[in-house]
Amino acid sequence: MRGIDELDHYEMLEVPRGASPGEIDRAYRMAQETWAEGSLALYSIFEKRDASEIRARLDEAYRVLADPELRASYDQSHRATEPLAIGPTPTATIAPAAPDAAAAGRAINGAARTLPSIDESARVARAAEAAVTRVFEEDTERYDGRDDDAGGEYDGPRLRRTRLFRGYEIDQIADVTKVSGSHLRNIEDENFADLPADVYVRGFVTAYARTIGLDPVLVVPSYMTRLQESRQKNSRSRFLGLR
Amino acid sequence: MISSTHPAGDSYDATRSVARGPRLLAVGGGKGGVGKTFVTANLAAALARAGKRVVVVDVDLEGANLHTCLGVASPQKTLADFVAEREDDLGKLLIDTPLANLKLIAATHGNLADAQPSHLRRVRLLRGLRQLDADFVLLDLGAGAHASVLDYFLVSDDGILVVQPEPTSVENTYTFLRAAFYRRMRLAMVGHGVRQLVTVAMDQRNERGIKSPLDLLREIEATDTAEAHRFVETMRVFRPRLIVNAVRTAEDVKLGFAVASVCRKYFGIETEYLGYVNYDDEARRSVSMRRPIVDLRSDADVSIYLQRIARKLMELSPAQASVQGPAPTHTPAPTPPPAPAPLAPGISRG
Ligand SMILES: Nc1ncnc2c1ncn2[C@@H]1O[C@H](COP(=O)(O)OP(=O)(O)OP(=O)(O)O)[C@@H](O)[C@H]1O
Ligand SMILES: [Mg+2]
Repeated sequence: MRGIDELDHYEMLEVPRGASPGEIDRAYRMAQETWAEGSLALYSIFEKRDASEIRARLDEAYRVLADPELRASYDQSHRATEPLAIGPTPTATIAPAAPDAAAAGRAINGAARTLPSIDESARVARAAEAAVTRVFEEDTERYDGRDDDAGGEYDGPRLRRTRLFRGYEIDQIADVTKVSGSHLRNIEDENFADLPADVYVRGFVTAYARTIGLDPVLVVPSYMTRLQESRQKNSRSRFLGLR
Repeated sequence: MISSTHPAGDSYDATRSVARGPRLLAVGGGKGGVGKTFVTANLAAALARAGKRVVVVDVDLEGANLHTCLGVASPQKTLADFVAEREDDLGKLLIDTPLANLKLIAATHGNLADAQPSHLRRVRLLRGLRQLDADFVLLDLGAGAHASVLDYFLVSDDGILVVQPEPTSVENTYTFLRAAFYRRMRLAMVGHGVRQLVTVAMDQRNERGIKSPLDLLREIEATDTAEAHRFVETMRVFRPRLIVNAVRTAEDVKLGFAVASVCRKYFGIETEYLGYVNYDDEARRSVSMRRPIVDLRSDADVSIYLQRIARKLMELSPAQASVQGPAPTHTPAPTPPPAPAPLAPGISRG
């Protein structure tokens, strides 16, 4: 499995290496529609920049593959190399989690060296499958109940994360709670200045928590503390600013 | 095509139901009202008409209406009996439908909170479904992407998403896919730290800038190669299927290919476009007449499309069994270019 930046021209257009010119034309037209601005299939998931990068890659792929000479020399220089399950990527080498770039590089190379044979990978897959099933039966409850880290403070991002993890849209919560979507978003984004008086926010957060299956008793006090501290700080500085 | 790997489709199913129990199909898709129940009822009917022994199960405890679509008047025994532990044997909940080979486990409307099975009960339920004496078991999921819905989807052999050609449905499809994917990954990862990372990645605006499953994989690779392998393998067996329902134009038909392409390039998730079903007022009428349209009017356009999808399902090996076949290479197998959708009856050129 590789990232978009590792796909060759054929993979970009989703055609086999032996594709006929007609197939390449069709695939390109199809891809243009799929990745066009305003395309239905892109609804809600794309930041503008991402899609335009992909469009540029598609154009480049087509420019090369549609021209017999360019295609021939591309084929020459890009003999199908054996794809790796875990491809080294430039991004991986600068991953923050690794202590240094060299260590990250070693880790990646290690992964490449230990790539399983076909039998091995089928076995790994089965084991992974079995692990999934087992974990399902044993762990889902704990995991559902406990969320990411039990206890601790509930801030906006954590609420959003829990909501997403439990598969709720803002609109669905707005429907159930009758709290407007913009209030709910402000709660998640901690735009305290745009939220109404504390007593209302308390009600909103209670309803929000209950809807996504969190215990308001755990959520509300810690969230309200954040809100009040932030508001106090702001009013104090405003007060001081007046003097 | 894929049928060639299982030339004897029937005997394949027969061995399956002896050795592994029925093939479990879950029909979901984030949005309400996109036709999940309609599609489930009709695929089940089409499979039954093709001679398969089929059980449909209404696991949409909040909006149960599968029984109406199949012409079963207010069922006496329902899944609620299982949930409330009044009945432990799912087999005893099977209800005959007017169609041969097709049985139903119904649900009833009820108090939402009471109707949600406990975790343990859900696990029992899933186990019980695997033991039903049938070739196919189809689950009609409720709307949304709640954990309980996702679990049915994730444990099934085939998870099918119904999408309609409209923005909110597309959005919900991606929301559902993301939620299902991350839940699955979180369960597949072993280490606490990596699980934590999956949780962080679930939030699209996370502080680490992880925007897609691929970004997440890169992060995991950099810390733990064993987890990275698990990730890749789990990702490979995660193969949701798509059905576009209520299409009106050729443009709508192409949505399935486009969504599959976006899933592949952006999420790194391989999906399979099973087919489309056109919009037809008769479909609506069949629901009020309480009969699956494939049975009521098997020659209607909608029925032809639905039967085509059912055939494809019979030909396809289950998504998860595919791992056990010849292991695919690690490249996302470039699917042949989307054949220009054969314009079929009932669909105008957009
Ligand atoms: N292809 C179609 N053409 C015309 N009408 C359709 C089609 N598919 C579904 N419908 C109609 O749309 C309505 C909603 O369908 P259905 O109940 O199957 O949706 P659902 O996704 O199961 O909804 P819910 O999320 O509430 O369970 C029904 O009246 C059904 O008859
Ligand atoms: Mg339904």
